[in-house]
Formats: sequence, C-alpha cells, structure tokens
Amino acid sequence: MTLTAFPPPPPGTDYDDLRQEVRAFLAKELADFPPEKRAESWNGFSRDFSRKLAQRGWVGMTFPKEYGGHARSALERYVVSEELLAAGAPVISHWIADRQSGPLILAKGTDDQKRRIVPRIAAGELCFCIGMSEPDSGSDLAATRTVATEVEGGFRINGTKVWTTYAHVADYMILFCRTGKSDDRHGGMSQFLVDLKATDNIQISPIIDLGGEHHFNQVVFDNTFLPSDALLGEKGEGWSQVMSELAFERSGPERFLSSFALIEELIRLLREDATEAQQAEIGRLSAHLMVLRQMSRSVAGMLNEGKNPSLQAAIVKDLGALFEQDIPRLARSLVTRPAVPGGRDSYAAVLAYTELAVPSFSLRGGTREILRGIIARGLGLR
Amino acid sequence: MESMIHDMAERLLRDHVTHRLRAAAASGQRPEALWTRIEEAGLAMALVPEAAGGFGVPPAEALGLVRIAGAHGLPLPLAETLIANAMLARADLPLPGGRLTIAEGEALRLERRGATIHARGHLTLVPFARWADRIVTIAVLGGDDHVLSLPVKELTVDPAQDLAGMPRDDAEVDLALTEADVAPLARPIGGMRGLGALVRSLATAGAMETILEMSVQYANDRVQFGRPIGKFQAIQHNLATMAGETAASRTAAEMAAGSYDTPAFALTVAAAKIRAGEAAEKVGALAHQIHGAIGYTQEHSLHHFTKRIWSWRDEFGTELDWTRKLGRFALSNPHDTFWHFITDSTAQGARA
Repeated sequence: MTLTAFPPPPPGTDYDDLRQEVRAFLAKELADFPPEKRAESWNGFSRDFSRKLAQRGWVGMTFPKEYGGHARSALERYVVSEELLAAGAPVISHWIADRQSGPLILAKGTDDQKRRIVPRIAAGELCFCIGMSEPDSGSDLAATRTVATEVEGGFRINGTKVWTTYAHVADYMILFCRTGKSDDRHGGMSQFLVDLKATDNIQISPIIDLGGEHHFNQVVFDNTFLPSDALLGEKGEGWSQVMSELAFERSGPERFLSSFALIEELIRLLREDATEAQQAEIGRLSAHLMVLRQMSRSVAGMLNEGKNPSLQAAIVKDLGALFEQDIPRLARSLVTRPAVPGGRDSYAAVLAYTELAVPSFSLRGGTREILRGIIARGLGLR
Repeated sequence: MESMIHDMAERLLRDHVTHRLRAAAASGQRPEALWTRIEEAGLAMALVPEAAGGFGVPPAEALGLVRIAGAHGLPLPLAETLIANAMLARADLPLPGGRLTIAEGEALRLERRGATIHARGHLTLVPFARWADRIVTIAVLGGDDHVLSLPVKELTVDPAQDLAGMPRDDAEVDLALTEADVAPLARPIGGMRGLGALVRSLATAGAMETILEMSVQYANDRVQFGRPIGKFQAIQHNLATMAGETAASRTAAEMAAGSYDTPAFALTVAAAKIRAGEAAEKVGALAHQIHGAIGYTQEHSLHHFTKRIWSWRDEFGTELDWTRKLGRFALSNPHDTFWHFITDSTAQGARA
C-alpha cells in the first residue's frame, strides 16, 4: 500500500555543513531573542531578519539562478526550514512567498511575472499573503464567490477574502476567484497576482485572534481593477493551480514544529531531575518527533524528485497538528507551574502563548476534517 | 523500493499463508511444508553478509522481509531465524541451517570452566522455542558480548503462548557450550533486545497495513442505512487515522532498519518500538470498531492480525521500557538544545 510508505530521504542528504552554518547564523542573529518571542514560531514577522537570511542565500533556495534563486535541492531547503523553525526565528515575512507563492509563479507565471517578482522574493524583500478563504468559503474552497469580470485592459474584482494572515503588511496577494461559469464545481476559477501596495479599492481591516494578536485580516475588493498581466497561469485553471499550491503549503516541517519553543522550555526544566514517569513521557515525545521529522524529510525527498506528495503531506500535517496541539497538555502533566501570559518566567509565558495558539494548528492550511477526507479518498474509499 | 527478494516473498506468502493456515497455527499446528519452502527460497539467510554465505542484500532490504511476513500474519519464526543467522555469522559461528529463534540473554550467567564456557539461567517468552532447533542469544562474559547458539534438545522448555496463540516458551539453560556454540562479538550490536524490537516494529507495520486494507475493504463492502459504511464521514476519519498511525510506524521501523549496525540504531529502534506500540493500540481499536461484531469472531481473519500487534507491544521490551530508555537518553544528552539531540538521533551520518 503506497499511501503508508514514506521512502527514506536519499543517502547523503544530511547537509551537515549547511546545518552548522545556519545554526551559527541563528545563534548570532537571535542571541537576544527571548523564548516568548520564539514561541510565535513561524508567525513572527521581521523584514530585517528575512533580508539577512536572503543575503546568506537561504530564501528562494530552490528557485533557478536566472530568477535570483540558488538552484539548491528541496532537501537543502528542508534543512534551513527546520533549523529556522526549531529556533523559533521570525520568518513569516518571506515564508509564504518562499514556500508556495514563488514556486507557483515559477510554475505557472509568465516570463515577465517571473522576472519582476521572483528575484525580489529570493532577496527576502517581498511578503506574500494567501487569498483563498472567504466568509462563506472556508473548507469548501469551491464555494468561492469573489469574482473577476473581464473588462478592457484587465479585470474588475468584487468580493471579500478573510483570515488573510499579514495582509496588512504584505506586498502581494495571490487571489483565488471565479472568472466564469462552469458546470463543473471546480471549473471557472483563476488566480491573480495582486500588488497590494499599488492597487486602489482594496480595503484591509484587522481581525484580532483570541490571543489578542493581529495576524488575520479581512480584505474587501470593491470594483478593484487588475491589469491583464495580473492573471497568474491559465484562465479557468485556478482549481488545479490552487491544489498544487496547497500541496506546497502542507508539505513542510512547520506542520509539526509550531510548539517547539514550549518543548525546549519543558526539557530545560526536566533536565536536572526527572522522575521515571517524566522520563517516559519525554521518551514518547522524542519518538514522535524523530518519526515526524523522518516523514517530513521523506516528503521533501519526494518533492525533490518532482513527485506530487500531497497525500503524504496530508498525513504528516494531520499527525503533526495532533502532536503540536498535545504539547501544552503534556507540559501541564509534567510540570506544576501555571501559565502566565507575558509572565517573567519564560516557561510560564511560553506555555500561555502556546495554549492560546494551538487551536489554530488544525484549522490553518486545511482543517483536520478536510485532510482526513483527502486521506480517506486516497485509501480508495468510494 | 523495487526488490526481487521482496517480490519473491510476497508471492510465496500470498499463495500459502491463508486464513486456514493461520487458524491451524493458532491452535498449535506448525506449517512444516511452508517452512521448507521459505528455507529453500533462502529468505532466512537474507541478513547474512555475502562474505559469510549470504547474497549481499542490503540490510534494510533484508529486514523488509519481516514487514512482509507481518503483513501476511506468517505463523513461523522467519524474523527470528533471519536475526539468528545474522548474529551467528557476525560471531563467526557455524550456520547450522534449520529452525532458529532468538531470546534476550541478559539473565544468562556465563562462566569459564577450564576450556569450556558454561551457561546457566532462564530464558523467557522465547518465540517458537519448542519448535526450533536452536536458540540464539547474546550474553556477557568478562565484559564482552558473546553470541550463544543453544541446542533446544539440551534445554528444558516450558511451553506458553502469546495473545495470538503463537508459542512463547520459557527455557531453562544449564549447559556446557562447545566451541561451535559460543563466540565473542568483535563488534557489539547492543544485545538481542534491540534486534527483537526492530523485527517486531517492522512486523507490526506490515500487519497494520493489512489491517488497514481489510478495514477499507470492509467499509466499501458493508452496506447499512442503504449505503456502504465507508460513505460515512465518521468511518472515513477513523480510516484516515489508521492510515496516519500505520504510515508513522512503518516510517519509524524503516528508519531503524536503515540504521541497523550503526551507532544511531540504539535510538531509532527505541523510537520504532514506541511508535509501533502506540499505533497498535489505536489501529487495533479502530479496526475492530469499523468491522463490528464479525471482526470480533474467529471466523474473520482480523483477529489474527490485531492479536499479533497487541502481543508484540510487550515483547523485547515493553513500551514503558523503551519510553523510559529514550527519555533518559534525551534528558541526559550532552547537546546544547533538545533539537540538536533530535537531529543527531535521526541523522544518516549516525553520530548518536
């Protein structure tokens, strides 16, 4: 049964030298970065950090050199990604562009789009946001209502996107919307490259999450004009494009390392003196991490070979979210210190932050229910 | 992975390991003819290095046979014989052929008496001991690991069985060993517990793949409320959970098999056994939930597989033994951060 087989990463892909370089860079750059900031994981935002990372050649690593990339393998990119996540580096400014928008533009964009945009992604200069969800279209992406009407010289966009992470600071959005009628539920969809800084009639307003943070936004397109060359890929091919974009979105190590700052805090407290029961729990936690990491590297290996590992990625994301979400419970079962938001004790502060963050882990990037539906179909349920 | 030896094993076991054969084995009959075929196919020698008479199959591929045996519910000690032959070869002991099994040898006391070595002690839960010609184990003499090849006819065997009705016998050892029966291991491999845990993890992954396949099939075939139960989201999500657990276990077991005979093995095999044990519980429970009452009978094949994976959790170290061991290591590791421990423990370069 191929669905449950995750081939090991190819031999010689530890890239130990690269890993040590990244670790040295992070030790220097994040020397004063406190645990409670690291707890934000890949939601931390710093244009400055992203640019510095890009200067080292660690953004757009897999992009071709002619577009400012570094033509390195998906497995080398994997090493950098997991080191950034494990350190809790603030990466969101370039993360989405590097993970999915850049590869999508490279795969489907015109030469002009590639030349204009991809080198700036690789330079760590561009922040992208994802224009998929809508008020009435969350898990059911095919229910998208935002519509692009063809007019002279381009398109007029009307509709509302929501849960748009970092739209308020992003430079570009890749917008998924309707461009035509179709009998097929998945037909008549297209994607657009929206320059958020240079387009009129887009209203971006904050949505504050339950932790009090401003990551989400609502983005309203009100008769917004987009020039013809904003169309990304083929008109009407938006569904298959967005599915391959989601495969990139779901495939990375961010799907099991989001609570890693809390794990490091927990281990720090238990290191001195752990009971046998505590040791056993840390043993189980270690086993889960070792295995999730191996699965995630396997997915990177499949991407590297040009395969489409979207089913395997769904499995890793489902298992990874369960693991990440379980860490606060585990911490509370092993240590008696209460959670204190913003507390002086870094364990207490990180626990508080993580407790409030974990409900989102099985929502973003495809809910648990959607992923399990995908896996079930992959199993051959009719 | 394309593998000739896997294809051969797959064909052989598919043709011969039937529901009837598994049921007969659970009530005490050994399929002698099938064992002869397995031996003739050379499967039991797959982990022996070429220099010692093997056929140069990479260890991870040879160990893949154990997953396949698990997937078919093979009621014979193929995994045990595979490991036993490899350890005899490793210690430069003769390979006698025939039916071999393995046992944890920590409880054995070895003593030098003149020119011979005397072994004394109690071996417990030895797979298929009553049926085997020899028990191969690893025990310590003068601080060094030694491989022992114990002729079963000179031991006192006390039969017992596991949840699936497979022989797990106790054996009383009080024996002077000849030169052909004991030799030091020039390169230690960490005792029989780790090797046993490895093969049980691989077999668990294989058995769970079969359990998953049976469950998908049943969900597609069984009609209730006018439609196949696989159409219900609750059933679909249980199957998806089973797939995740199975995939994680197989990845873990193959990671351990991939680090066989490297320093990383001590940690990867712990992860594999822990992950297999946890998955066995979830997958077994969900498979029975999906199958309903028919799966709870001896008429249906499901129980042969679920009872095996439940038994294997407790063999060659229980889950608690392994979680404590890995946890102790993780908490005492000399790395700066826990993350460095995780990357090193799963590194291909094997620096653990």
